Amino acid sequence: MRTHPNRTLIPLLLALAAPAAAQERPAVVVDPGRKQAYDVAVQRFAEPSGSPRPSGAEKFREDLGKALEYSNIFQLVNPRAFLGPEATDSLEKPIVCSDWTQIGADALVQGELSRDPQLLTAEFRVWDPARCASLLHKSYRQPASADPAQLARRIADDVVEAFLGVRGVSATEIAFVSKRRGNAEIFVMAADGSHQRAATANGSINNFPSWSADGEAIVYTSYRQANRPLLFLSTRGRGRPGRLLPRLPTERAEYRGVFSPGGDRIALVLSDDGAAEIYTSRPDGSELRRLTRHRAIDVSPTWSPDGSQVAFVSDRSGAPQVYVMSASGGEPKRLTFQGNYNTTPAWSPDGQWIAYESRVGGQFDLWLIDPDGSTNVPIVAHPRNDEGPSWAPNGRMLAFSSKRFGRSEICVVDVGGDNVRRLTQNAGENTAPAWGPFPR
Amino acid sequence: MARELSIDLDLGRRREFRRFVVVSALLHVALVAIFAFSPSFAVTSAPMGAISVNLVGAPAPARRAPAPPAKPKAAPVPTPAPAQQRPKPPVPEKRVLPKQTTTPKPTPRARREEIAPEDVVRPETPQQEYSDVLDNLRSELGEEETPAQPEQVAAVAPAGGGGTGRPVSPEVADWMRRARIHVRRSWVVPPGFRQQSLATVIDVELDGGGNLLGEPEIVKRSGNPWYDDGVLRSIRKASPLPAPPEAGVWNFVFVSDESY
Repeated sequence: MRTHPNRTLIPLLLALAAPAAAQERPAVVVDPGRKQAYDVAVQRFAEPSGSPRPSGAEKFREDLGKALEYSNIFQLVNPRAFLGPEATDSLEKPIVCSDWTQIGADALVQGELSRDPQLLTAEFRVWDPARCASLLHKSYRQPASADPAQLARRIADDVVEAFLGVRGVSATEIAFVSKRRGNAEIFVMAADGSHQRAATANGSINNFPSWSADGEAIVYTSYRQANRPLLFLSTRGRGRPGRLLPRLPTERAEYRGVFSPGGDRIALVLSDDGAAEIYTSRPDGSELRRLTRHRAIDVSPTWSPDGSQVAFVSDRSGAPQVYVMSASGGEPKRLTFQGNYNTTPAWSPDGQWIAYESRVGGQFDLWLIDPDGSTNVPIVAHPRNDEGPSWAPNGRMLAFSSKRFGRSEICVVDVGGDNVRRLTQNAGENTAPAWGPFPR
Repeated sequence: MARELSIDLDLGRRREFRRFVVVSALLHVALVAIFAFSPSFAVTSAPMGAISVNLVGAPAPARRAPAPPAKPKAAPVPTPAPAQQRPKPPVPEKRVLPKQTTTPKPTPRARREEIAPEDVVRPETPQQEYSDVLDNLRSELGEEETPAQPEQVAAVAPAGGGGTGRPVSPEVADWMRRARIHVRRSWVVPPGFRQQSLATVIDVELDGGGNLLGEPEIVKRSGNPWYDDGVLRSIRKASPLPAPPEAGVWNFVFVSDESY
C-alpha cells in the first residue's frame, strides 16, 4: 500500500538533523519515483594481445549482462549508445565520467579477461559515474577449465553487492525434484534456470533435496535401498556419496534430512513404524537427539539461521500447522493459526521470516510469518497452487514450485511478491526446490 | 416427429416474443416519462473530482492491485489487516548494517484479485499529485513546466512536495515541488530499499542556476550506507536542479516508500 510521508516523523528528523544553514528553509521531501533499476553500461572486457586461447570477451559480456538483469536491479545500456569506449582499454586509466552520465548510466563495469592453458583470469572495476567514483576493483583466477559463464555470474553478484550491499545470487544453484525421466530424480540448475542436470539417476523415488552449508553436497531421501525411505548424499566429487547415516538401522524410516546453517548438525525426520518425529544428530549420525515426543506426525524441519531453533510441521492440533521449538529440545510453540493446512516452513537467512505454504480458499499460496507470529502476510497468491518455498541465500528471493502453468514448475519470486519467473519448462513435474548457498 | 415438435415450439416462442416486445415497449415509454419529469436525474453524474482521484493513483502502479488472474478464486481470501498486523518500522540508526539485516520487510499486501478496501490507493492531496503527473508529462514532451500562479500555490510548504509545515513563500513552495519532481526522476530505488524504513537527510548547496556546488553533505544517515550512496548518486545526477529562489544551502529528505 502506498503511504505518504509521515508528517510527525519527518519534522522531527529535520529538527534533529538540519544544520543552522538550512534550518531557515523547509526541507524538500523526496519519495521514490518509478525507477527501480540502475542503468548499467558493461564494456567488452579487454583481452591481452597475442592470447594463446580466445577468451570470448563478447560472450562474456553477454553472460555478465544476463546475470546483472537477473538481479532485477540493473538494466543494460545498449553498447551502441555508449559515448565512451565500447571496450575496456585499461583498468588503470581514469574514465571520463561525463561520457557515462550523459547516456544515463548509473554504473559502468569494465574489465580484462584472459585465458591461458592454466588459468582463466578476470579483473574488473565498477564505477559510479555520477559521483565519478570507483566502487569496486577485484579479480578472479580460476582453472582454465572453469566455466566463463559462471565467472560472469560471480562478477555480476559482486556488482549487485556494490550497489545494494547484498550479494547477488545469480551464481548460486537450485536443487529440485524432477520427473522428466519418469521417476522422481534430484536435479540441479543455475539460479536463472540454465544448466539443468541430474544429480541422481538411480531409477528409484528421490525427494526432499537439501544443501550442505558449504554447497558441496545435497542430502536427499531415496527409496533406492531396502525399499524404505533412507537419506543419501550426492556430492560434487570431493565427498563420498552414499548413505548419510550408515550407522542407523535401515528398519527405521528416514524421511528427511536438513543440514544446520553451521553444518555441524542435521535435523532429521525419523520413524520406527510409529509417527514421524524430529531428531537432530551430527552429520555422521552420532549424538542422535530426539526433539519431539508426540503421537502426532512431526515433519518438515527448518533451522533458524543461528541454529538455535527449529520450525517444523505437526498435526498435533488436528491439522498441519507450523511450530517452533528450541534445537536443544523443549516445548514447541504453535506459530500458525490461519486456516487448517500450513506446511513446508522455510526460515529466512536473516531470521526475520518463516515462509510457508498455506491452504487458503482451496489452494496453496506462499505466506510469510515472523518467528513470534505477530505478522503474517501473503507473498504471492495465484488461483493455482504455489508450494515448497526455499529462500535465496541473500534473503531477497524465494524459489517455489507452482502449478500455474499446468504441471508443477520451479519459479522464483522477489520477497515482496514481484517478478515471478519460471525456471523449468520440461515434461514431468518439477517440485521441492532447495536454493543452495553462495559459492565459495 | 421431432421436426414438427420443433416447429410447434418455434410458433409458441414467436407468440411469447411478441408479447415480450409489447410489454417491453410500454415499460420503456414509462421509464422515459419518469426520467423526463424527475428533477433528480439531472444531477446524478459522478463528480469530476472522484474521477481525478482515481487517475492520480496512476503514479504508483507497483502498489496497486496486480492484473486479475485468469480464473478468480471461488472463495474470498482472508487478507491480513495491515494496520493491525504490521508493526511500526523503526528508523534505523546503525551506520553500517550487517548484511543479514538488509532483507527487505515485505509489505503486508494481498496480491490477489480481491483487494481489501484499505489497499486501494487514495492520495491525500489529489490536486498536488495530479499537477505532478502533468509536470512529468510536460517534461517528457520537452515542454516547460507550468509556471506557478502565486494564488494557486500553498502558503505553507506542501506536505507531499516536501516541507515541514513552516510557512514559506509561494515562490519557494513552487520550487520545492519542482525540485522534488526533478530529483525523484534521477533517483533509482531498488525494490529491496522500498520495503525498508529508510530516510536520508542531506544538505545541498546550489547556485542561482540550480547547479550543485561542492559535495552534498549527509546530515542524517539512513543506517544503510548503500541507500545513502543512492541518494548522493541521485542528487548528483539531478544537477542542475530547477533554479532555486535563492542560492545557498537547501535541505532534502529522501524517504523510502512505505516507510513513513
